[in-house]
Amino acid sequence: MIARRIWHWLLAILIGGWLPVLLVTLWWNASASSENPFFPPLELIWEQFKLNWVFLNVPIHLVPSLQNLFLGFAIGVVAGIGLGALVGVSGAVSRYVEPVVDFFRCIPPVALVPIFILLFGLDSAMRVASIAFATTFPILIATIEGIRGTNLVLIDTASVFGLSRAQMLWRVRLPNAMPVIFGGLQVGFQIAFIVTVASEYLGSGFGLGAFTLIATDSFLILDAWTGVLLLGLLGYALSLVFDIVERLTLRWYYGQKQLA
Amino acid sequence: MTTAIAINGVSMEYVTPEGTTHVLDNVSYEVSEGSFVAIVGPSGVGKTTLLRLLSGLQKPTAGEILIRGERISGPPAGLAVVLQDYTRSLMPWLTVERNIALPLKNQKLSKADRSERIESSLEEVGLSGQGGKYPWQMSGGMQQRASIARALAVRPSILVMDEPFASVDAQTRFDLEDLVLKVRDDFGITTLMVTHDIDEAVYLSDEIVVLHGRPAKVRDVVTVDIPFPRSQIQTRNAPRFAELRTHVYAMVRGLE
Repeated sequence: MIARRIWHWLLAILIGGWLPVLLVTLWWNASASSENPFFPPLELIWEQFKLNWVFLNVPIHLVPSLQNLFLGFAIGVVAGIGLGALVGVSGAVSRYVEPVVDFFRCIPPVALVPIFILLFGLDSAMRVASIAFATTFPILIATIEGIRGTNLVLIDTASVFGLSRAQMLWRVRLPNAMPVIFGGLQVGFQIAFIVTVASEYLGSGFGLGAFTLIATDSFLILDAWTGVLLLGLLGYALSLVFDIVERLTLRWYYGQKQLA
Repeated sequence: MTTAIAINGVSMEYVTPEGTTHVLDNVSYEVSEGSFVAIVGPSGVGKTTLLRLLSGLQKPTAGEILIRGERISGPPAGLAVVLQDYTRSLMPWLTVERNIALPLKNQKLSKADRSERIESSLEEVGLSGQGGKYPWQMSGGMQQRASIARALAVRPSILVMDEPFASVDAQTRFDLEDLVLKVRDDFGITTLMVTHDIDEAVYLSDEIVVLHGRPAKVRDVVTVDIPFPRSQIQTRNAPRFAELRTHVYAMVRGLE
């Protein structure tokens, strides 16, 4: 049983892994003798990557980015799910609120960064606020959708059993909406990542966005490449973690789907 | 016998943009304590509406429903429901045990009492040791047993069931029918059940309420004078069983 599981894992890694390995090899070889200053050999980028990110620049550039990302995302999650629950439960509130929500979510999140600079100045409060704001809307919309989708049989059953409105929300409607909410969380997280980087383009000396931008502006092409590489790896790793959390949280949902 | 539920002149209308639908018209009926009552009628006649009114999920447009002399205005305490659609009435994110525990949250019970309630309810419905499973890991019949266990765990004095066995296979259905009879005997719970299966109604009930018409009225109340305990083989073969089912069937179809 366990041997079979390990075999499945290996197979999955093999199937998913051959193309990335091939692409990196191609890049490595094709760039090996490159003289173009903007496309240096991958080998040099890799050397510079180790120099920058193991672990010299981690505290001043990676840590602040991650801090902003997680704090902003967390605020967005709380705000999105909280407001979404409120709006989703009350049909009356939703009719008033929805046009406003639709308006704000249509503004490209990055475009609001300058406004947040006016409001919060140039420090990390501005970045966190931008990330939180951008994250809120996809989560808010998913939560409204999910809460509204609670089947009536479940609600009827719970009300006959004397659950209060708060219990109904917390124990029935929110868990039931989780699969839909997770869709919103996924989109929200991607947006949070984008805004994290974009918010560091303005008025900052720290963070991965700032690092990459400053490197490009100073013609430190190798550094710029390492920044992009790290962002790519980071984004991929975070989305893997996200998937695992989702799988664990929604085990009931996937288990049920598998049997159906 | 004392009256458990009194339905006094209940009428129900739904107002929609297309007009007013008159579902129930001046329905009156009294359920005695501890009896088993089946509500039958052609489909769409308003049986489920009547159950929703009884469960306090909706308010009648006229008339009143009294439980032990008290007019209900919301889901009454001591009433539990089992609905047809078990796949949608058990929470799929909770194990069976936790599903049963959910309605117990508001009853001030010690931890030990609560797990005792859960255990004994599972045992009553023949699901001992299965509480750790998720509903979707069980067969339809087992899920319906689980929702009966959930209803029993709150120690209800009234059990209301809406076509509880409509989505399970015939064999399972017989087993579940005998299960609800056993439950009624063990706890003396007043049981009301909507069904479209007339044989089932005759087999289970003390009395059958036949709804008919649009809007629906109580067409007749049939006393099932077949002694308990009943058995799937003997009772269903008894001449009296055949007479009663023919009689009820004719009324449901509007032939009598």
